[in-house]
Amino acid sequence: MNPSVKRNDKGLLPTLPVSLIFHLAIYGLFAWFHFFPSAPVTEAPVYYVDVVNLPVASPQQGSPSAAGTAPSPPPAVKPPAPEMKLPAKESGQKPAGKPAKAATTPTRTAEESSKEFEDRLARLQQSSDARHEAAAMDAIRKKAAVRGKGQAGIPGGTGHESGSDYASYIRSRLVDAFKTTIAYQDKTPRMTVILTIDKNGRVLKRRTESSTGDRLFEDAVNRAIVKAEREFRPPPNGGSFEYGFIFTAQGVGKQ
Amino acid sequence: MKRCSAGIRVLIMSALLVAVICASPLILSGQQGYLEVSAPGNRQLQLAIAPPAALSGGVNQDVARAIIDVFKFDMTLAGPFSVSEPQVTESRSGIRPGDFDMASWRAAGTDLLIKSGYVVSGDSVSIEFRLYDVLTEKELAAKRYTGSKRDVRRVVHTFSDDIMSAMTGIRGPFTCKIAFVSTATRNKEIYLMDYDGQNIQRITKNGSINLYPDFSPNGRELIYTSYKKGNPDLYRRELASGAEARVTTARGTNITGAFAPDGNRIALSMSKDGNAEIYLLSKEGKQLSRLTNNDAIEIAPAWSPDAKQIAFVSDRLGKPQVYIMDSDGRNVRRLTTSGAYNVGPRWSPRGDKIAYCRQMGGGFQIFTINPDGTGDTQLTREGSNEHPRWSPDGRFIAFSSKRGGRESVYIMRSDGTGQTKISRGGTSDSSPVWSPRW
Repeated sequence: MNPSVKRNDKGLLPTLPVSLIFHLAIYGLFAWFHFFPSAPVTEAPVYYVDVVNLPVASPQQGSPSAAGTAPSPPPAVKPPAPEMKLPAKESGQKPAGKPAKAATTPTRTAEESSKEFEDRLARLQQSSDARHEAAAMDAIRKKAAVRGKGQAGIPGGTGHESGSDYASYIRSRLVDAFKTTIAYQDKTPRMTVILTIDKNGRVLKRRTESSTGDRLFEDAVNRAIVKAEREFRPPPNGGSFEYGFIFTAQGVGKQ
Repeated sequence: MKRCSAGIRVLIMSALLVAVICASPLILSGQQGYLEVSAPGNRQLQLAIAPPAALSGGVNQDVARAIIDVFKFDMTLAGPFSVSEPQVTESRSGIRPGDFDMASWRAAGTDLLIKSGYVVSGDSVSIEFRLYDVLTEKELAAKRYTGSKRDVRRVVHTFSDDIMSAMTGIRGPFTCKIAFVSTATRNKEIYLMDYDGQNIQRITKNGSINLYPDFSPNGRELIYTSYKKGNPDLYRRELASGAEARVTTARGTNITGAFAPDGNRIALSMSKDGNAEIYLLSKEGKQLSRLTNNDAIEIAPAWSPDAKQIAFVSDRLGKPQVYIMDSDGRNVRRLTTSGAYNVGPRWSPRGDKIAYCRQMGGGFQIFTINPDGTGDTQLTREGSNEHPRWSPDGRFIAFSSKRGGRESVYIMRSDGTGQTKISRGGTSDSSPVWSPRW
């Protein structure tokens, strides 16, 4: 007897939907509890550029000159001038210091020997000071060169340092314009606007994301945008730029 | 073979899932960033009034001057604007968009510009107004009105209301009236005037004492207490027809009546049962309920805008203080805790403040307080000031003051600024109440 066994194996196919649902559930849980590793966020940090409030001509470079050429660093300090030599002795003997030998010369007095020693000591002191001064200037030059790469608007900036990104530049223009238009009637006015700036630096789209509903404040914000737009420079990447700006009134606390 | 293909499919699906999971943080990282933009201070908008132009026919200086004067008064009182009449030289002086040079106004530092033009034909006047945002070069409001010459002020007030609506989202109260008690006839009669003191009309002519006027919510009726029949009774009058009805006939005082926001009920103080208590009546005079019941004197009920609460004055603790109760008389709690003598509460139309008077020194001063008892703020300091009544938009308060010697009607912004005398006669004017919008 050789009963034929009827196989009803459909492989992994029936488990596929179960697997899919299971994975989606796991994915949903991970997403819900934010277990995913955060990717490097390219969001520009909130840096305040009020101290250097004037717009840089090339914000991506942080240079005040349009060509982006960094001015030359401060001139190096010249080495100290050769010291004035003491007038030669009438006797024609070398003034160089071997006071012991000089002291053995019978024509020199004890006073002359002492004076010569003091002069030589002074020369050594001056030479040491000059070396220290030159070293200090070198250190300052190096420090200035390093600092230039770390701050907005400082020659030699790379454009990636704080405050020199395009969003901060737009913000600085908006702040200046907003100072001349601000008006409100509510206690805590607030308006969030998403600005889209085209490649020519014009405001392509202006979308109000949220507002406390103070019409006077909203008009002030819109006026500030119109006013600031006249000074916008094109985005550095040659394309359009979109960013959110939260307009508030300074010194108005929540009550 | 089948198992093999199924396995491949599972592998592909798994790979897709892994790809989606790995990509999700990158997708999420594309969220919008924000920067804060803030500025100090609260600047007044520079509002320029261009000289009214004669659109056709001759120049009428009276109409032109009235337009400018009313705009200046309304917009200056409003608060957000600094009003001026700059002399700007325009190459084109039309009033419609594109018919004039906006740049010259922008150069003059103007934020907002009112352009107006008129046509006078006999006694009829047609006036066109346009409000511009000079910076954005947008037209914010435009209206044309036709009426008689005596309507010019009212027409300008109406466009002032429109300006407030365009700029703040809430219409102004500049077309409203103010009812008040005046001694112009040596009696105390009730009068009506524009909010700026113009166009005074006498309402009662009974040669008696008439007190405590209050408007119905639709502004068509007025209630007041009159001694015309000897007893201080409550009366209701239709302003359009002048028809008057006696609401209360009970002996004793029937004073400080206040229309409920629904317009069908009246809360007032009556002493028919002994001492003064707060009662609720229908506007026809039928007693609906007695809201307070104790040995103290209770007067001056004031409805909250939602009609759920009533503020009133009671001396149940010895001195008059402001209390709040639910509109059914329950849940009484004391509102004012500072000052020994606080009277005359009136709830703001927005419901966020209650104005009242406090006795200070030899007179009274007006304060505002939040309904929860916080934010007690003094608004007036000069002379003696009483009877605060809110404008329908809650921006302004009308009150009577004795600061100039004789009692007069004043108005001010709700923060106490811009106090302006609007009484114009040499009479004693008091108890002002602002009408609703008509």
